[in-house]
Amino acid sequence: MSTTTQKHRDFVGEPMGDKRVTALSGIGEILGEKLRQQGFDKAYVVLGQFLLLKKDPEMFTEWLKDASGANSRQAGVCTQCLREWCDAFL
Amino acid sequence: MSSLRSKSAQDISDLLDEYRIKHGPVVDSTRSLYEKKLKEAMAKGKPKESCDKTYYREEEEVTYEYSTPVRSEGAVNSGSYMRSRPEWREREFEHEQSYSSYSRPTPEYRGRDFVDEPSMYDKPSTYSNAYMTPTPMKSPEAPKAANSSRLIPLWVQFVFFLAVAAFLYLVFSSMESNDSFKAIE
Repeated sequence: MSTTTQKHRDFVGEPMGDKRVTALSGIGEILGEKLRQQGFDKAYVVLGQFLLLKKDPEMFTEWLKDASGANSRQAGVCTQCLREWCDAFL
Repeated sequence: MSSLRSKSAQDISDLLDEYRIKHGPVVDSTRSLYEKKLKEAMAKGKPKESCDKTYYREEEEVTYEYSTPVRSEGAVNSGSYMRSRPEWREREFEHEQSYSSYSRPTPEYRGRDFVDEPSMYDKPSTYSNAYMTPTPMKSPEAPKAANSSRLIPLWVQFVFFLAVAAFLYLVFSSMESNDSFKAIE
């Protein structure tokens, strides 16, 4: 039973354009700030990292946990969000 | 192994291939992750490409093991090995008696026997190893995977379903009683 949040649906439903990194599912203010400090200030930059890791969900999840301090649930949700966005728009 | 930081991006990429880690380009943002992966792989001591030949042989035997379904078949296999070993011994006796006049064939035969026996000793042990590893691994993995995939625990869903079922039953049972209809008339 997979329940998607409104945030997830909002992100996956349209091109991400210039949305901030906090628009990603699973990324709140605190994690967003950590990512911004490393230069990942927009969602598309995180998308770039996801693509550099060849869309490998495990690699990306691990990277996200290391880079932002996300826990497994948050990183997993963000990975899933990006995967679905890529399936729809890439 | 010397420090991974000092290696070139191409070296890191080659090392990742050696340890058979699927990876993308080694750039600034991905490098530290790949270095971490390599450290983990080195700590585990995964076999490298150069030793592949022997590794594949064992792997062939083990994968063949996985494809055979049940333990009974394994018992039959090990039984056949038990049978074949005394057979070798019998043959050895026969050949020794018949070849007693010849000095050359027996050392040759013995040499072959010595070469073959160690591999036969190895096979039962790989069988038992293959049996030991998959079953303990499967049981802890299955409940972990089952538990982590649900947001709402399963028992909550069951209780909710039973509550809805009980409510519907009450509604139906109250509809069927005729006493209330007479009161309306």
